[in-house]
Amino acid sequence: MNSPDERDGPEELSPDRPVALGSAIFRSIGFFGFWLVLTGADPSDLAAGLVAAFAATWASLRLMPTQPWDLRPIKLAGYVSHFLRQSITAGIDVAWLALDPRLRLRPGFVVYQAQLPPGTTREAFCAIMSLMPGTLPCGQAEGNGLTIHCLDVTQPVAEQLAVEEALCVQALRGVPRNG
Amino acid sequence: MRLVLDIFTVLAVSAGAFFFLAGTVGLIRFPDALTRLHALTKVDNLGLGLVVLGLLPQANGLFGALKLVTIWLLVQLSGAIVTQLIAGTVRQHGPRE
Repeated sequence: MNSPDERDGPEELSPDRPVALGSAIFRSIGFFGFWLVLTGADPSDLAAGLVAAFAATWASLRLMPTQPWDLRPIKLAGYVSHFLRQSITAGIDVAWLALDPRLRLRPGFVVYQAQLPPGTTREAFCAIMSLMPGTLPCGQAEGNGLTIHCLDVTQPVAEQLAVEEALCVQALRGVPRNG
Repeated sequence: MRLVLDIFTVLAVSAGAFFFLAGTVGLIRFPDALTRLHALTKVDNLGLGLVVLGLLPQANGLFGALKLVTIWLLVQLSGAIVTQLIAGTVRQHGPRE
């Protein structure tokens, strides 16, 4: 449960050089790997790939500065499997609604008071929510609220979202520190 | 073994095609823009996931397989983000006739 000690140290206030360098290396390896996948690792494209990976890393560090992520691989793997099961349920659920001759839709808006402050983690949660059964985030509401469009407003949507948000925070802990 | 993999491919891709069909039915039958977005994102993501899963045994080596998975991930990512943008715009300004 304890967070890594360096996050409580003075490094959090000053620019964290080792973390930034580590994440630059990590991201450039990721982008270069992505290039290899896209081009089928064609040797004549490697030089262009190195330039592209470098440029992409520079852009990503500008657009999404390094944050102290505290990922737990096992929890994350568990969350990914939960997410896959939920998106299968979502697909079957909506397919069933679409093919049902009676078309039993009760669409409407629900305002959900999110616990997460605005920031990257909340964006990630919104993206995940839009792939979950029956919910589609469509903007802010008053306070810390999110307006959610639902296919069936008679379902306990807010309770389900609270459970999902708690799971999401557990898997991506360490990020909601920008509020 | 080859035969088993081929049967798996046929089953998974057929299931994926079924979900694409269901998503299109939803797109036609659902009453407004927001409910249609549900049909497109959720059902088509599952359909594409099944098509990719079914094609994995036929992929051209490791890079071919990774490329298929990458396509699926990119479609998930863009779907999740673009859907929210469209939904937000529809809620603020109403659908265009």
